[in-house]
Amino acid sequence: MAVDFGGVKMKNPINTASGTFGQGWQFSELMDVSQLGAITTKGCAAEPWPGNPAPRMTEVRGGMMNSVGLQNPGVEAFARDYGPWLADLTDAGTQVICQVAGHSTEEYVRALEMFCELTPWAAGFEINVSCPNIAAGGAACGSTPEGAAEVMRACRKVTDRPLFVKMAPVRIPEIARALEAEGADGLTVINSIPGMAIDVHTRRSKLSKPTGGLSGPLCHPIAVRMVWEAANAVDIPVCGVGGVMTGEDAAEFILAGACCVAVGMASFIEPDASVRILHELEEWAESQGVRDINELIGAFEC
Amino acid sequence: MPSPSPARMHDFEVVSNEKIAEGIFSLVILAPRLASALKPGQFVNIRIPGDASELLRIPLSYVSSDAEAGTVELWYAVVGNGTRRMSAWEPGFKSDLLGPGGHGWSAPEGCRRALVVGGGIGVPPVLCLARELASAGVRVDACFGAASGDKLVGVHEFEGLGCGEIRIATDDGTAGFAGFVTEPASELLASGAYDYVATCGPGIMMSKVAEAATSAGVFCEASLERMMSCGFGACSTCNVETTDGMKGACMCGPVFDATKVVVW
Repeated sequence: MAVDFGGVKMKNPINTASGTFGQGWQFSELMDVSQLGAITTKGCAAEPWPGNPAPRMTEVRGGMMNSVGLQNPGVEAFARDYGPWLADLTDAGTQVICQVAGHSTEEYVRALEMFCELTPWAAGFEINVSCPNIAAGGAACGSTPEGAAEVMRACRKVTDRPLFVKMAPVRIPEIARALEAEGADGLTVINSIPGMAIDVHTRRSKLSKPTGGLSGPLCHPIAVRMVWEAANAVDIPVCGVGGVMTGEDAAEFILAGACCVAVGMASFIEPDASVRILHELEEWAESQGVRDINELIGAFEC
Repeated sequence: MPSPSPARMHDFEVVSNEKIAEGIFSLVILAPRLASALKPGQFVNIRIPGDASELLRIPLSYVSSDAEAGTVELWYAVVGNGTRRMSAWEPGFKSDLLGPGGHGWSAPEGCRRALVVGGGIGVPPVLCLARELASAGVRVDACFGAASGDKLVGVHEFEGLGCGEIRIATDDGTAGFAGFVTEPASELLASGAYDYVATCGPGIMMSKVAEAATSAGVFCEASLERMMSCGFGACSTCNVETTDGMKGACMCGPVFDATKVVVW
């Protein structure tokens, strides 16, 4: 079941979606986190961010919408408070990918420099140029090939360690190509989809902002299509994210061309969903008669 | 590393599920390990099967637990599809929950007289606390209310505690004082004889109670409600703005020092 996600050697293809798995320790009493191929930690910036006011979440049919806005303690506190546990997790065979947040190219670079210095145990970094819930940075700079490429170009100069980009659900083929050209080692496809939910009785947004990021199983078919587009556009590996609730959902991403799959909302409902999904994926791979999961990556036929 | 949530997965079976007031039900479940782990003020996050399009659990406070019988009693208001499905649960129905979540009330050591103030479906967590304090010999006065008399819960239970003064208020005057529960609560607080105030209910109610407690110089805690995705510290959605920054209600609450709450 081992896969190589852009230089991050994962013992199996199951990863966790940033923002849905904290820094892993939250799950330590609820499951064996070290069974996973990798975890991706919640986005963190050079300085602490308070995030958006409440309410930050509303449930919608088949999923949820959030407007957390990347609340984080800053890289220094992140490394100090969670580093030892994450280093142990790495020793136990689960790779740790740290997500990097910023409001501008300079802020991404600064945060990445701090990560490189303070998290020697991190297997790689995921640059979040697609958060839909912050006014500057995030999707504001990652929704065009030029904007995404600028951030990637600057970050590439900081480190030779694996760098991934969490992509916004827009213009996938052209942005994927731009990121590959700037030296990205892999792509995470997709971040939550901008959405709206209005309380028609009060005429107010159900969140503290007009829009939020839609996630959960209702997004899955869109994410599968975008993973397929990305995998067709570039040679670097893709991590599929979006509404994976079962091993078969994960298998769809693999067949569409993903090298690994991140579990998101499912972990909120069933904390050890990622481990169940791993076992179901293993059973599926076996049912397909292959010895190596890599034989199934992109094996979709129309 | 911070401490992970005390919440664990528990299978449970419904013992009873009965309407106790207009739109409010009492659910008794059999969950022995949970029953001996819960402390007043903590919550559970319940899975409500039956609709594949509604996936998140529903966080609920509890009103009592019986470690010997292995049962937990929860009072819930029917407000959406999930609680509507829940209200149809029959004895023997099985599901699971994550709990206990968060930390509970922390009445000061040596507390001799406490006031609890509950509004609407905020009554269960303060009743739960009142029972614990009363059994520890604390004199507990209670102010609680609802929109109307038919929606009022807890009268019989508070009377059964056999201690302290009880003040009831309803918005429309169909039971007790006509008006908000904050009025009798402020009157009692002005008497100045309390060591501790605990409150749960609508944000505006809790903020008024906290104000009155602060003017009376009494330590006050409030149990806050937020939209919550996971309930164990992973999702950052149940934020409460405090004087110490944004805090998750599931891990740093749901009970907060009222003087630290910025946005109710």
